[in-house]
Amino acid sequence: MRKLWSTFNLPTKISVVWVALVFFFVLTGSFLPLPDPTEFDPDASGVGLFSSGHLLGTDINGYDLLSNVINGARISILIALVSVGVGGLIGSAIGIGSAYVRGKVDLVVNLFFNILLSIPNLVLGLALVAILATSVDPSIPIDPNRRVFIIIFSLTVVIIPILGRIARGATLSWVNREFIVAARSMGMKDRHIIFKHIVPNVLPAIYAVIFLAIGVVIVAEGALSLLGVGIIDGVSWGAMIGRVAGDFTYAPQSMYVPVIVLALTVIAFNQIGDHLRSQLDSREGKI
Amino acid sequence: MSSILKLENLKVRFSTHRGQLEAVRGVDLDVQAGTSIGIVGESGSGKTVMSRAAMGLLTGSNVTREGRVTFDGKVLSDMSREEVRNEFGTGMAMIFQDPMTALNPVRRIGSQLQESLRIRLGMSRKEAKARSIELLTLVRIPEPKQMLRKFPSQLSGGMRQRIMIAIAISCNPKLLFADEPTTALDVTVQAQILELLTDLRQKLNMTMVLVTHDLGVVAGNTDYVAVMYAGEIVEQAPTAELFANMKMPYTEALFKSIPNIQMKAGSRLPVIEGRLPDPTDRPPGCGFAARCNYAQDKCFTDHPELEKAKDGHLYRCWFPLGDSIQRKVS
Repeated sequence: MRKLWSTFNLPTKISVVWVALVFFFVLTGSFLPLPDPTEFDPDASGVGLFSSGHLLGTDINGYDLLSNVINGARISILIALVSVGVGGLIGSAIGIGSAYVRGKVDLVVNLFFNILLSIPNLVLGLALVAILATSVDPSIPIDPNRRVFIIIFSLTVVIIPILGRIARGATLSWVNREFIVAARSMGMKDRHIIFKHIVPNVLPAIYAVIFLAIGVVIVAEGALSLLGVGIIDGVSWGAMIGRVAGDFTYAPQSMYVPVIVLALTVIAFNQIGDHLRSQLDSREGKI
Repeated sequence: MSSILKLENLKVRFSTHRGQLEAVRGVDLDVQAGTSIGIVGESGSGKTVMSRAAMGLLTGSNVTREGRVTFDGKVLSDMSREEVRNEFGTGMAMIFQDPMTALNPVRRIGSQLQESLRIRLGMSRKEAKARSIELLTLVRIPEPKQMLRKFPSQLSGGMRQRIMIAIAISCNPKLLFADEPTTALDVTVQAQILELLTDLRQKLNMTMVLVTHDLGVVAGNTDYVAVMYAGEIVEQAPTAELFANMKMPYTEALFKSIPNIQMKAGSRLPVIEGRLPDPTDRPPGCGFAARCNYAQDKCFTDHPELEKAKDGHLYRCWFPLGDSIQRKVS
């Protein structure tokens, strides 16, 4: 662990610390002595930074911003991790499998990936959420938990082709190497070759992209909320941004706080992903 | 002596964007158990493709293999992929040309060496470890215990090739294909690896098919030699007979292009002029005619068949060397 840390440059170290801090709040957010994020303070509507009792101020309705940003981390990070985790797993499995068998299967899979990738991430996510999260009867709003699930599902679909194509590309570059033929010539089964010989070589490429994908998903979740189809009735960074969009001029801090936190988190994840990728490139060079 | 590997009219074709590429054009080969046979030819002559096709390692969707392959009494060309797989490792194994790429860069030597022992021979972790140390000792690796923990990138080419050999012989194969095992190594290491292979072959009673472009490698390490050119066997004989009595001008040209210590410093290395015929568009006559010093009109129009001479000597030439027929040297 110490060895790994020493390979990081300063921006990566700061990013790791920031991400660790975010995860700390994800785990402990609900136990910290903070105002209830869903209760507003009628005496402090739209107060600025460093007000008494509201360190980061409140928004126009008197919701405490610090409490919201800390509690909102939970759902934002949950959405990001689950959709990238599930999407990455499915995407990598499809990508590695299709590159291994080649032929017509691979042709179809590649076509499918390319079609999905040709649609901008946000448009694809928006379309899926809009279709799936519409309740049959407009007077009954859709269950909030179901809404979170639909958002996760939609963002998973967005992630699958991104990681799928990376996994497919990486597999294609390994599958024709001599050591794969050598393993076959010793009578190893395909499953063994995939899991023991290909996956360990493909994983580093996937790790690097996973961090970038987390950034993409956090932004997408925020954007969906801003457009009014994301989390509207819960607490998330996207929901905070979406809720205060109209009050921006009255209480600018209510916009700045979640946006800056979200931006820093995305930048931190990107920095880590980028660092991993550069490590990977230099490692490839050595082989 | 019994036949362990028999190829009958083996053909391998690749479909490419330029049309059908016939890499192996009807090879017949009978390898006797316990012997060592050398397959010689220049780059692109089809020797590697032939050995891989014999084992059934060419699986691309653009490859077609025709002909009959019999290994140890079983007809491989009629068996399913799973059945053939059961012969790999325990029946036949292969050593690859480039030890730099034939080992998985992210796995330790120990786990790569033990996977076949554990999966193919069903050994326990402990047995496999003991056996792998034995194998490493057998291929003369110093400090075999420490070697198990190393990664391929920590080893030299010669060491990696020894590891490859250890993996290939780990399941006691009856037949060992050595596909240019020394091409990627420097000369001093080459000699050690060849000596090791010959020694192991006798110790473990293996049959060996040694594929190489170097007649010098074949000379000391094989009982029979088959010379390949443009996807065909053009000459085949017991090693001593071949060197004493070359029939095919191509073999002679190969032999003459071995650099000699007596050659004057700074003199040009002897080469075979020209190049292999286009494999997607073979000429009608002898494939070597265009490069042959002795070619006559017939050589360009009629394809020679494999002729039998005495002492099991086969050749594919209209005007073989050492014949009484008057040749005009062009």
